[in-house]
Amino acid sequence: MSGMNTNGPRGVLRQGWSAAVGDYAIAGGWVSGGDVLVVGDAAGSVYGFEGTSGSIHWEHPEIHEGGLLAMSVHPDGARFVTAGQDGRVLIWNAKEGQVSHTIELGSGWVENVAWSLDGQRLAVSISRRVHVFDVDGQELWKSDNHPSTVSTIVWSGTGELATACYGRVTFFEASSGEILQQLEWKGSLVSMVLSPDGNVVACGSQDNSVHFWRRSTGQDSQMHGYPGKPSALAFDDKGGLLATGGGEDVTVWSFEGDGPEGTSPGVLKLHIKPITALTFARRGRRLASGARDGAVVVWSLQSDGQGFPTGAALVGGKVDMPDVVSGLTWRPDDRGLAALDASGGVTYWRVMDR
Amino acid sequence: MNTQQKVPVTILTGFLGSGKTTLLNRILSEEHGKRIAVIENEYGEVGIDQALVINADEEIFEMSNGCICCTVRGDLIRVLGNLMKRRDKFDYVLVETTGLADPGPVAQTFFMDDEIREEFTLDGIVTLVDAAHIEQQLGRSDESTEQIAFADVLVLNKTDLVGTDGLDNLEARLRDMNRMARVVRSEKADIPVDTVLNLSAFDLDQVLERRPTFLEPEYPFEWTGVYSLQPGRYELSLAEGPDPEMSLVIIADQGVDDAALREGAELCVRRYAEPAKSVVPGAEVSLGEHVSLQLQEAGRKSFFLNVDAPVRVGLYAQHTAEEFDMQLLDADKGTIPVEVERIWVAQHEHDDEVGSFAIERTGNVHPDRLNAWLGELLRERGVDIFRMKGFLSIAGEPDRFVFQGVHMLFDGQPEKPWGDAPRLNQLVFIGRNLDEEAITQGFDACLV
Repeated sequence: MSGMNTNGPRGVLRQGWSAAVGDYAIAGGWVSGGDVLVVGDAAGSVYGFEGTSGSIHWEHPEIHEGGLLAMSVHPDGARFVTAGQDGRVLIWNAKEGQVSHTIELGSGWVENVAWSLDGQRLAVSISRRVHVFDVDGQELWKSDNHPSTVSTIVWSGTGELATACYGRVTFFEASSGEILQQLEWKGSLVSMVLSPDGNVVACGSQDNSVHFWRRSTGQDSQMHGYPGKPSALAFDDKGGLLATGGGEDVTVWSFEGDGPEGTSPGVLKLHIKPITALTFARRGRRLASGARDGAVVVWSLQSDGQGFPTGAALVGGKVDMPDVVSGLTWRPDDRGLAALDASGGVTYWRVMDR
Repeated sequence: MNTQQKVPVTILTGFLGSGKTTLLNRILSEEHGKRIAVIENEYGEVGIDQALVINADEEIFEMSNGCICCTVRGDLIRVLGNLMKRRDKFDYVLVETTGLADPGPVAQTFFMDDEIREEFTLDGIVTLVDAAHIEQQLGRSDESTEQIAFADVLVLNKTDLVGTDGLDNLEARLRDMNRMARVVRSEKADIPVDTVLNLSAFDLDQVLERRPTFLEPEYPFEWTGVYSLQPGRYELSLAEGPDPEMSLVIIADQGVDDAALREGAELCVRRYAEPAKSVVPGAEVSLGEHVSLQLQEAGRKSFFLNVDAPVRVGLYAQHTAEEFDMQLLDADKGTIPVEVERIWVAQHEHDDEVGSFAIERTGNVHPDRLNAWLGELLRERGVDIFRMKGFLSIAGEPDRFVFQGVHMLFDGQPEKPWGDAPRLNQLVFIGRNLDEEAITQGFDACLV
């Protein structure tokens, strides 16, 4: 049974290629304009796969001792950054797959890395502080200790760095590190996204809710009723739709009109285990979801948050023992989608127009 | 996804200097074949090759709803969440807390977070106690009492620094605070590793198998003597003793074997629950009545008992016969020999705010009444109830129901069928300022 691939991709998802890394695939991203897919795993290895065939371009086994924790691709696609339990941040040249700069931050886990949207700055978090570097790894500034470990970091489109930790979201000025705004909420914030204009901050909280703030008005709201932690969140490119996990359903809030307060969200039902990954295509209201059930679904959404599936596939192909989807990444031209899984599988599908 | 067994986690608590590091090293050197991850607080100092040591700040995350049982250790969620991804998984995880840690949030992390619960199982809480200094620490901090109250195993360490009497007193005090825990003594944390690892203390299937000490109930009397009597008038003679009065129940038809003594004890617990009738010297004591012998006068005092027919009586006395040189005499002042005597685990004076008690009742409980009572109890007193554990006989259900809880978190399931075994309920509560009488009455009202 398990050897038969009876569950090939459906709808807009078409057979591409599959490959494997050595351990749980932690993070991945497309470099060199979509020619190469970079994947890092829990053993600390980093791999480059040829985008159209899936053959291994290069690999660096266990370069992060203890395991890789985070990855971010530079907006120009010519470099990317990885970080791990070894307290190191590596800036890579994407074309050759070589480390160009090494930043040592001492003992501690470097859990988050993010390039600013203009590509000028690199932010990393280790324990309770963030450091910001230039493209060559020269430190520009670092923050004081946050009240607890920084759980996630995001750059806004307007060049601010946002950090989340237990009880607080902080906005830092990009070049000086000056604190511009602090938003307080008594809860453990496990995930964060910003709307493209930087006005809306949405955080998934350990207490199975999504909390968000409108920074222009200071107004904040709480969305309850999730069966689990909303650790996967995604805004579409216009900032009109916020997709949230936190259970088996994908819940989509629409920011049209006066929403989402007082409105009913779109509830996308297809997964049978909790959602682990959500990502919008670069353009349009096309959402990809991945879950603990091993399924990847592509949804077409309307402006009110309602939607329908247009494509679906399973990672690994083992129906009886599905792998947990650990990450999803659209190719820069939105014509391909790669899924990472907990068994180290890397699955790529071509994506058709609807 | 793998279907492997969950990774067991042991929490090691105890004040600075209690020997946590020594015990940790001992475990790591004895279990060297296994892959063990150690999560230490930032001041930890262990360095062992085969163990992965991760330093983590203890980050206590409370939730906006203010619910104490939702309070978790955020750092553990993060660190364990990453550790469980590795293909070469760990066989065991040890979490060492600082001496100032409240064990509640650590324990709750393994119940409250879905992803952690899926991969890990809390095996037990081990608290190291510095025998020489714990008395001072108990007086000074809530954390040390909480660490004792939460423990599945109490390691009474550095026993070489304290005399035997001191240790016995200390152990009695710790047992008062936590009747559920196993107490082991050591000099340099040199205890067998299997006394602290693989306890399955939170596993419902194991609740009964471990036969924890709480099954030995406390009785309000210390001593029982059984006497065979012919019809006649008897004199109970007492010298001066440690108390100006003493409670006593004398019951008829007392057997001499262990089961009969326990049966008598159960009966007398109920008699003891009734208000005692004061009896002055020279007056008579009736069978089956809870009396308080008034012993304020100097010298020996006598009380009388009339027997109509040959009978074996059991005297259930608040103090031992020896303490008052208590004797039963016939009309000719001849001493009646004690046929059987027995010393019970007596209830101590509870000086500590934190304490524990057990309820043991035969019969069945009504499911709706029990739900209502337990729900209200946990809602109102869940903050103060640190742990509870036991099993219930629910009316109409063929299976024994086992349960355990941490604060408001309650976890229970039907276990094996009762079959021919006598239907019985046993519950133990550990917590702060618990009203044993009220909780016991509440439970009794759930009995069918």
